[in-house]
Amino acid sequence: MKRLKILTVCGFGVGSSLVLKMKLDELLKEEGIDAHVETADVGSASSTPCDIIFTSKELSEKLISSVQVPVIRVSNFIDKNEIKEAGLEKLHELIKE
Amino acid sequence: MAQFIEKSNIMLQQTVDNWEDAIRQSGLLLLQNHSIDFAYINEMVKAVKTLGPYMVIIPHVALGHARPGKHVKKNDISLLTLKKPINFGSEHNDPVNVIFAFCAEGSEGHLQLLKKLGLLLDDPHIMQTIQESSDLNQIDRLINEEMDK
Repeated sequence: MKRLKILTVCGFGVGSSLVLKMKLDELLKEEGIDAHVETADVGSASSTPCDIIFTSKELSEKLISSVQVPVIRVSNFIDKNEIKEAGLEKLHELIKE
Repeated sequence: MAQFIEKSNIMLQQTVDNWEDAIRQSGLLLLQNHSIDFAYINEMVKAVKTLGPYMVIIPHVALGHARPGKHVKKNDISLLTLKKPINFGSEHNDPVNVIFAFCAEGSEGHLQLLKKLGLLLDDPHIMQTIQESSDLNQIDRLINEEMDK
């Protein structure tokens, strides 16, 4: 199994993306997925190597054209169920690669 | 443990004209606490204008902030609640009646603040009380004392 590198992205990489990282870390632990989660701002996200990106709907539209990796959209940053439904399947796929 | 959100940084059941007014009022609390320069408030407004309403991170709650460093004197956080909710233009999370504004000196020093904020946002009982209460003492106790238990 490979160790995933996940990026959570917000406008400046210091606020919402951190809140999202906290929830994502919880989810990964529960699911037993080995991954490292980093935060980034929307400007530097496309030049930061990673396997998958989690961000808001608004910011995903800005990112989607400039990155090669899957972009998962989340509208409620502390709703673990939403994060799970939006991204878990993709995470499992990536681990297997 | 130091106060999470200083009592003087909390204003409840205020009236605002629109989202920009709400962001400015929440920023003024940080300014008043000598945590930012005035320019930071303009940056917070600009961030919503250029990046969209992504700062409305959960239903009814916005997290206003700008880039760390420039214009920031110390890590700080404020809380503004609104009598009448306003729209930011967020597809899933409008209307908003709770605004947290924060400022960070660097990219890491405010992690503790945001961790606490994460716990608070995740507690439906606390969030409901914050949305409904006009009692500053009650909210101060709830956030700064009871949450630590």
